[in-house]
Amino acid sequence: MNAERKTGEIELVNLTKRYGETVAVAGVNLTIPHGSYCCLLGPSGCGKTTILRMIAGHETPTSGDIRIGGSSVVGQPPVRRGTAMMFQSYALFPHLSVLDNVAFPLKMRGLDRDRRHAAAREILSKVGLERFAERLPAQLSGGQQQRVALARSLITNPRVLLLDEPLSALDEYLRLRMRGELRRIQREFGITFIHVTHTQLEAIAVADMLVVMDQGRIEQASGPREIFDQPRSPYVARFIGGQNVLGGIVESVADDITLLKGDQGARFAIRTNGSRPALGSRLYFAIRRDRVSLSRAVENETSSTIPNFVRGTVHAIEYQGSYVKVTVDVPGLEEFVANVSDGAYFVDPLEIGQPVLANWKMEDVHRLEGDEQASTAQPRLETALS
Amino acid sequence: MASLRHGPRPWTFYALATFFALFVLFLYGPMIVIYVLSFQGPNGGMTFPINGFSLHWFKALIEQERTGDIAGAFRRSLVLACIVGALTVLLSVMAGLGFRRRFRGASFVFYMAIASLIMPGLFVSLGIGIGFQMLGIAPAWYTSALGAQLTWTLPYGLLIMFAVLGRFNRAYEEAATDLGASNWQRLTQVTLPIVLPGIIGVALFGFTLSYDEFPRTLLAAGSTNTLPLEIWAMTTNVTSPALYAVGTVTTIVSFIVIAAALTAIALIERRRLRRISAAERTIGED
Amino acid sequence: MSGWRRLAKLQPQIISWLEVGPLALILLLFFGVPMLIVLGVSFFDYGRVQMIPAFIFDNYIELFTSSLTLRLYLTTLKYVVIVWAVTLVIGFTVAYFLVFHVRSLLWQIGLFLLCTVPFWTSNIIRMISWIPFLGRHGVFNQALMAVGLIHQPLSFLLFSDFAVIVAYVHLNTLFMIVPIFNSMARIDPSLLEAASDAGAGRLRVVREIVLPLSKTGIALGSIFVITLVMGDFFVVKVMSGGQSSTVVSALSTEIASLQYPPAAASSVILVVIVALIVSAILRLVDVRKELTG
Repeated sequence: MNAERKTGEIELVNLTKRYGETVAVAGVNLTIPHGSYCCLLGPSGCGKTTILRMIAGHETPTSGDIRIGGSSVVGQPPVRRGTAMMFQSYALFPHLSVLDNVAFPLKMRGLDRDRRHAAAREILSKVGLERFAERLPAQLSGGQQQRVALARSLITNPRVLLLDEPLSALDEYLRLRMRGELRRIQREFGITFIHVTHTQLEAIAVADMLVVMDQGRIEQASGPREIFDQPRSPYVARFIGGQNVLGGIVESVADDITLLKGDQGARFAIRTNGSRPALGSRLYFAIRRDRVSLSRAVENETSSTIPNFVRGTVHAIEYQGSYVKVTVDVPGLEEFVANVSDGAYFVDPLEIGQPVLANWKMEDVHRLEGDEQASTAQPRLETALS
Repeated sequence: MASLRHGPRPWTFYALATFFALFVLFLYGPMIVIYVLSFQGPNGGMTFPINGFSLHWFKALIEQERTGDIAGAFRRSLVLACIVGALTVLLSVMAGLGFRRRFRGASFVFYMAIASLIMPGLFVSLGIGIGFQMLGIAPAWYTSALGAQLTWTLPYGLLIMFAVLGRFNRAYEEAATDLGASNWQRLTQVTLPIVLPGIIGVALFGFTLSYDEFPRTLLAAGSTNTLPLEIWAMTTNVTSPALYAVGTVTTIVSFIVIAAALTAIALIERRRLRRISAAERTIGED
Repeated sequence: MSGWRRLAKLQPQIISWLEVGPLALILLLFFGVPMLIVLGVSFFDYGRVQMIPAFIFDNYIELFTSSLTLRLYLTTLKYVVIVWAVTLVIGFTVAYFLVFHVRSLLWQIGLFLLCTVPFWTSNIIRMISWIPFLGRHGVFNQALMAVGLIHQPLSFLLFSDFAVIVAYVHLNTLFMIVPIFNSMARIDPSLLEAASDAGAGRLRVVREIVLPLSKTGIALGSIFVITLVMGDFFVVKVMSGGQSSTVVSALSTEIASLQYPPAAASSVILVVIVALIVSAILRLVDVRKELTG
């Protein structure tokens, strides 16, 4: 098994998958370093599962290349790739005991009964399930089934583990526990994990590397903190959440500061760091929800000419424990949210319908790329926010 | 309607339960009457009252006074049903697997199977009979009748396999491939064991449909009869409880086969439960 | 290289054909070809005991000009309509009871099997079993007389249209129950709860929710029952005591006297009619999805 010597670095080169007229994956280029925990994140139908299945060898790319550890694996059967896949439904064979399920890959490789059972027991003890070796999968809880599936995938020492929505079948409590468990096991085995999910928080919590996808393309691929802090496009900012996305027409550019005019007359000042946007062009930027401060507005006060101040009325108030999520109705904006720390909020609680002024510092503004995307990304807002 | 699942039963339950009970009575009542009547005494007639209790009419069957070659027909029918059952399992399981991929001609084969299923059996029989006559081959139960019965059992087998494989989660097969199984290992160690209860169902249909088949076999059996053909002949010339005795015997055979198949299916499903208790015992010993 | 690729793409098709091939071949040889033979023979001439190869329309002309044909079809139609209606009502009611009123899954399976077991036993025997039941001195008459409801045995019970219909219902109701049961079992029970929350009474729920959602099952069951009754000959022969005949029972008499060409022509016409009925049902309801899962 020379798979052990090879590394689990994965390279996707111009990877494309078409089903008839529909393009599921559109020329994706991506390098995932060996030993990293990579999350493919996106709404359903964005092509993330198709990429996973192509890496596993359950789908054939229409064009492009997949390299694992430096050599192309396209056309090879799954078993020669050194990958293992954990299925969304776990696909534990219902007619085999836990032990035989875990030992199944070794049986296929011709190991005798004693040796494969010994190996299976050893790996079962690593996931804390040796007591359940004789049971059938149907007799285990969801979390236990998942650990059996994990043990079965890991028993052949793959260099890459592919996980298709591994936590989606679990309840909230188990989901939180299992995602820590996955991270721990990935560290322990030191192999590459590729984890497909549509849940932003799950991805941010486990990944070293986050790949945000939309409509068969990669929108952004980098570390989770970078993506959260510096989303590249309005789409990523909206999908990852925690951001307000605003835009406006360039009115003036001076001393690295660009002044934008919003749709309803509000003015925004942003830093453009060297570049000089054309007058009259449209720019987008993001401001983190927790960097917005709110104050009561006086009726009839016209302060919208001051940059980075917007006027609106409180639409909804949600207590979230450590902070309070205040949704503000701002004319001309789809959604504007301020996360106010609970300490600050309860000094002077707001009421629904209260006119407020929201403002933020220019240093907290993050400029986004792209101008057209905003309109295409809007219909997907509901999925992105959920 | 919530009360359908919880709480006291609605009045409709009792009304419908009564209807159902009457239907079951309608289904089984007459059959039970002839089983009882087949134990008539030697002087008993075709209807009640019961005139003593004896196995006289069963003996009459074996001795074949006035009844024709019942024993031979019975033997032929059993052998034929086993062959048809085995072929039905083999061919419909294979075809069911094949139909999971798209291929040219799939709908032609599908519609041919459906047409074969709903075609009046006598017509199939007529066509096969004339065909063999034209070819100058004598029809026989092991050639023409075998083929005629397969046109009836194969569509059933295929439809059952569609239902069974439709419920089968393809992820099991992908997982097997992923874990290193060859195509053959995947089939024999994962797919077939998981769908085994469905396959037993196909065997049950194959056997019983063949064992009781009448219209398709009628013109295709040649000079020696199968059991249903023999019974058909008896309905016109036997006017004694021997006719009922045949009914009792053939139904007993059917029931044995049905019971065997259902027990096998139940045992496979039950294995899980036995494993639980076994597993719990081992844990207890630790 | 490109040739190799094309072969690789074709390969799954080849595997499918190898798997489906044997079944297709047997159906072709023992169903497709015989049906073509019947079609061919329907144009043959015939003597007293032999067929004379020819291409004449006499058999069809005779069928269309004989008043007997219409009478046979009317009798057949009568049986089909009555049996269809009765089996539909029974089948729907039984399936509805099993799916929505039996709570335990084990009981549901058990009672369902109770309905299906007779399907695996001999049709002829099940038909014969009505004879001692319905006869002049049969169980039914004896019971009625014992209770004092009647004083003379009822003679219309056996060897009559009544007996034919009873036997048909007995043999074929199963083919209604099973597909309707399958359709109903797929209805989410919460739909019924939602409908009754919305204020629908029990009967409304059945009419507005259960009936439309079991449409495919009803269509499938109807196809089975209609084709079975139309294709039958032995129930009519035995249970009517030879007093009435349908298209196929008349045809079986022709076959018995070796008059194959007119029998073949009659078969062809019946198959065309059956095909029209089936395609009309299929036009109303698409059952293919139901069949292929």
